[in-house]
Amino acid sequence: MGAHTNDWGHASDFENVGGEVAVVGVGEADQTKASGRSAQEIAAQAVERAIADAGLEPEEIDGLMYSGGMPPQFDEAAFHAHFGTRHSMFVSGQGGGMAWAGTAPYIAARAIREGKARHVLNVFSVAWATQRGSMLGGPGQFHAAEPFKGNLEIPFGWFPQPVYFATIARRHMYEFGTTQEQLGSIAVACRRHANLTPGAVMHRKPLSLEEYLSRPMLVDPLRVEDCCLISDGGAAFIMSSFERARDLQQPPIEVAGVGEAYSGTGTYWSQQSAFTSTPQVYSAPPAFAMAGLEPKDVDVLTLYDPFTIVALMQIEDMGFCKKGEGGPFVEGQTLHFDGGGLPYNTHGGLLSHAYVLGIAHVVELVRQLRGQAAAQVAGARVGVYGGYTGHMASTLILRRL
Amino acid sequence: MAAEFPLPDTEWEMTREFWAAAERGELVIPRCDACGTYNWYPASRCKSCDSEKLVWTPVTGRGRLFSWAVVRHAFLKEFAEKVPYVTGLVVLDEDPSIRLATNLIDYEAEQLKIDMPVRVVFRPLAFPGISREVIAPMFAPVEEPDV
Repeated sequence: MGAHTNDWGHASDFENVGGEVAVVGVGEADQTKASGRSAQEIAAQAVERAIADAGLEPEEIDGLMYSGGMPPQFDEAAFHAHFGTRHSMFVSGQGGGMAWAGTAPYIAARAIREGKARHVLNVFSVAWATQRGSMLGGPGQFHAAEPFKGNLEIPFGWFPQPVYFATIARRHMYEFGTTQEQLGSIAVACRRHANLTPGAVMHRKPLSLEEYLSRPMLVDPLRVEDCCLISDGGAAFIMSSFERARDLQQPPIEVAGVGEAYSGTGTYWSQQSAFTSTPQVYSAPPAFAMAGLEPKDVDVLTLYDPFTIVALMQIEDMGFCKKGEGGPFVEGQTLHFDGGGLPYNTHGGLLSHAYVLGIAHVVELVRQLRGQAAAQVAGARVGVYGGYTGHMASTLILRRL
Repeated sequence: MAAEFPLPDTEWEMTREFWAAAERGELVIPRCDACGTYNWYPASRCKSCDSEKLVWTPVTGRGRLFSWAVVRHAFLKEFAEKVPYVTGLVVLDEDPSIRLATNLIDYEAEQLKIDMPVRVVFRPLAFPGISREVIAPMFAPVEEPDV
């Protein structure tokens, strides 16, 4: 901390795309535990639903974004095979979930501005619950193959992500007095929202703070309830120019601001000098500046939440409260959709809705701003997604005009 | 990934000296011969002055417990016999920006406190089904804290 905190990350230099594009269609695949489905089957269902939601035809989708780094995804060949189409498309592998669910609208806006596409689809899916038995895929796979981790962290059992973030959580508790009850408040808010959301994986499993505190530790100081699900599922959303969006069937949801930032120490959480921070420190301010908005203007927030502590740190780092005050901030009903505070992960998030790596967080924001959400925030006009991918954070600000 | 996963690959060039030193009971960290900066994780050029003259340099092995986790679930099957175990990060007295991932040993559970002084102890890393062991730097509480 201290002397190091000024130079541990940096923001990407984005052109101003505020107001150029809108999200015009959203769709979710069925979010389930192990289902036997393939990732591409799951994606196809989400894509069909997003296209129908927008009132478009598959032939009109002339831009496709997916996660090129996490195959198998719903790429151009899969799209055409599924829909029986053959038109040319703008294609980018810099889309999908995690931080890229937040930055896909920036790439889409640039492509639409340059005339490369009119309607750009971003899609992401995983079948990690189904694959779990075969030990293929999953959140630990990338990290297990990384040589510095393999030689300097894994031999000591400092692996995988629940261990990293338990270590971070304990340090946050030490530096700022954050408590288990405060982390539990985040898990409880997510669970309540999932209980209100049909289709959430934890829809029928209530969780009180007392129950949370009674559960055993998984990696002390984190419980299972502090950790994301592993599930099968996916989602998709479609972006079009704001002008075209006015003619489509859904109320257009403007992309008002986008930001992106990187940690200078990559995915080596052990070495990030600002150990209890996320690159949202660098990503959120330019996104808010692009939108001409401030954190106090936000009606609904969704955060990439692999662990409660990651949500807590992002709430601080994005400026919703001062650094270190996230614990007291999240106590009680603050994060609940009807709590009058900062409605947060109103579908249940990665903890209780589905582990589809953030793309459903963007879908949820769009539904909130349209007034179509299950746990609807009254009068929501401004929604923010905070994406996180370890070495990277993104900030997406959506607005209903 | 090392053939004897989760043992380290003691021949990998970027960390070979670290493991060779541990074998003889030394803790070494790359230090820039030009500007004196310790570099961790190992790199081919100094993060401070870009020099290529990085020299594996012995350190005292004294440090502080930066943070830790008590792992109660074996995320990797190779750790099934070790859980619950304590793993965490230690910062070195020579430069507290150096953080080593390690195991805490020879402690009483209630004794662990963030920023408590610790000292390096060399112990074997061993896993079921792997005949080889690798001597590794682990850390134990210092009985009488430095004043």
